[in-house]
Amino acid sequence: MSFRRYLPHYLMVAPFMILFVAFFLYPILSGLFYSFHDWNGVKAPEFVGFGNYDRILVSREFLRAMGNLFFYIAITVPLGIFVALGLALLVDSFTGRWANFFRNAFFMPVVLPAFLAATIWRWIYAPNFGLLNMILGWFGVPSINFLNDTGTMIYALIAVDIWVSAGFNMVIILAGLKNIPTELYEAARLDGATKLQQIRHITIPMLGPVLFFVFTYGLISAMQVFDKPWLLTGSSFTSYGGRRNALLFPVMDMMGRAFGGVKFGEAAAYGFLLTVAIVFVTALMFALRAWSERK
Amino acid sequence: MRTYTTLRAAIAGATLLAVGCGGAAFAQDVTLEYWVYSDFAQGDALALQQEFIKEFADAHPGVKINITGKGDDDLTAGQVAGAASGNVPDVFMNAQHIGAQLVEVGALANIYDKFMALPEDVRNQFDKDALDTCMPKPDELYCLPYTGFGSLLFRNLTVLEKAGVDTTTPPATWDEWFAQMQKVKEAGMYAIPDETLVFNSIGEIYATSGNSDTWGFNWDNRTTRIDEATMTKVLQKFVDMVPLNTGTSRNDQATKDLFISNQLAFHTIGPWVNPTYAEAAKTSGLKYDFVLIPGDTAGKTGGVRSYEIVGVAPGPNEDVAFEFASFITEKTQMARWAKLLSRYNANAAAMADPEVSALPLIKVSVEAAHGAMNLAAPYFVDSVPSCYNSTVIDYASATSDGEYTPAEGAKEMIAELNDCLAN
Repeated sequence: MSFRRYLPHYLMVAPFMILFVAFFLYPILSGLFYSFHDWNGVKAPEFVGFGNYDRILVSREFLRAMGNLFFYIAITVPLGIFVALGLALLVDSFTGRWANFFRNAFFMPVVLPAFLAATIWRWIYAPNFGLLNMILGWFGVPSINFLNDTGTMIYALIAVDIWVSAGFNMVIILAGLKNIPTELYEAARLDGATKLQQIRHITIPMLGPVLFFVFTYGLISAMQVFDKPWLLTGSSFTSYGGRRNALLFPVMDMMGRAFGGVKFGEAAAYGFLLTVAIVFVTALMFALRAWSERK
Repeated sequence: MRTYTTLRAAIAGATLLAVGCGGAAFAQDVTLEYWVYSDFAQGDALALQQEFIKEFADAHPGVKINITGKGDDDLTAGQVAGAASGNVPDVFMNAQHIGAQLVEVGALANIYDKFMALPEDVRNQFDKDALDTCMPKPDELYCLPYTGFGSLLFRNLTVLEKAGVDTTTPPATWDEWFAQMQKVKEAGMYAIPDETLVFNSIGEIYATSGNSDTWGFNWDNRTTRIDEATMTKVLQKFVDMVPLNTGTSRNDQATKDLFISNQLAFHTIGPWVNPTYAEAAKTSGLKYDFVLIPGDTAGKTGGVRSYEIVGVAPGPNEDVAFEFASFITEKTQMARWAKLLSRYNANAAAMADPEVSALPLIKVSVEAAHGAMNLAAPYFVDSVPSCYNSTVIDYASATSDGEYTPAEGAKEMIAELNDCLAN
């Protein structure tokens, strides 16, 4: 009786539920299933318990990929937000066509295909002939091999990542800036607050929810980093991660195991570890946010 | 004699087209999906592939062939994923060293019986060594070898002349070659790319001291065949080359730029780089040639060899797919293909064609391929784990960075490779 009564409601949510089950729940559950099996994508899966997880967790590649990932996240996420905030404040200070021009100019890298962005940056970073080395050469700095020197590779990637993502974050922050009541700034100015004091005591606190979103989104994106290091190092399924795996990241390693080694069970375990890590980090972020709001 | 040989080949080719390999007549329309490397699906190469397709389709009414170009990784990902979903292309290309993965997922049919049913003349056209690499067991054949390469040593003659190197005779041994590299460095230019950055270039230098028996895999006990003493010697070569190299890999655009702009003397790579250098010779006056990579002793060559393969997927279209595969790999088509691309291929009869063998790049490529070391043999036995190549690259790079002595690097590398293969 109640089912018939609520049938229209069920029909309303059915499209979402079907898509949710087909493209979210089923892949996660099947990934979990295959992660406990030795499976090459075709033959019957053979149960191996935690064997795949054991192999991954002790492998040199996994440890290297995780080390790279932590370092990359620690720098790229806060620095990316800092740059985006700076750009948003800069664009916000312009009016009319200049505001539009800078907003579009800073947003442009976001819509560039990854392959194109990587090609541009490979040319910028190229030793001897690259734009960056040409500029450094004017100051007498010898050519630096940014994408093959283990000391510079990760920083080269971080610069590309910030260049690509800053525009997106800037637009989000800019929307947040527009929502801050102007009366607050007027009152602060009357009280003699400097521009820096206004940013510190009004802008940043009022942008709290927006910055939280940008931070969380940046963190999740960074954990899944793949295309930029893959393309910058000219990787393939049989050779990836660049010199001494300085740009090896978990998703790259997972792809290599799946398509290079045809170990889909192992790749599923890798994917599941990554999913758990992302869910954990996201939950932690929300818990921290709730805790800070209660304070 | 030559007329007789040509006539026999023509009859064999005609037999393939007219009768078909199994002589099948197709009762219903068949559409074959044919995946090729992206550079074979553009410009003149695509035009010739389409000619092949048209010729085959004209001789086989009802057969339609869709050609699709894909990049290296896309070919592999598409074939592996296609095998999982039961949707593999009917005929496709890929690299020989990916073969085992494709066999494992069921993307490659065993075409041994079909191949043996071909006229003997046709079967004998293939380079025996190349064909053997497609046969992990006597009654298993998983591919028809297609285009191939043996690594070449591209020499920038302007750089060498500036460095006071006599370019009339190529270096005959490693010692001679290394002495030339040092002269180039003393003249203020780069000698060679950083050969530790790419698995293939590590193989190329390893081959100057080692050979196919001490490289690749021992699948019976899942260990590497790399020999510790040979690898120690080779790692020492990498250490010696550190002050002479560009810091870029053999595959980097920056390496080609240095070569074209007369700042780099040597580039060890396959023949596919030649069109770029030939164009630079026309437009910017680049003076270069290509020779064999010298080994430790006179007469021994370095470098690696490998082939692109043509494979056939198991399934309802397997017979006609094999017919098409055997048609495009037959001497007449391979000779036309070689003349167009100036690229070596595994059809020995096509390579012996006077018009083909007269091409300088093919002439030296045939020699290079015969003297080079197999890149990742034995093929089609088992999938190479993803940790293998990265371990080789890691230890070669770490040793050249001074983190290990060559002896330590070789020992640790082999232990790590055995772990990688065992797991």
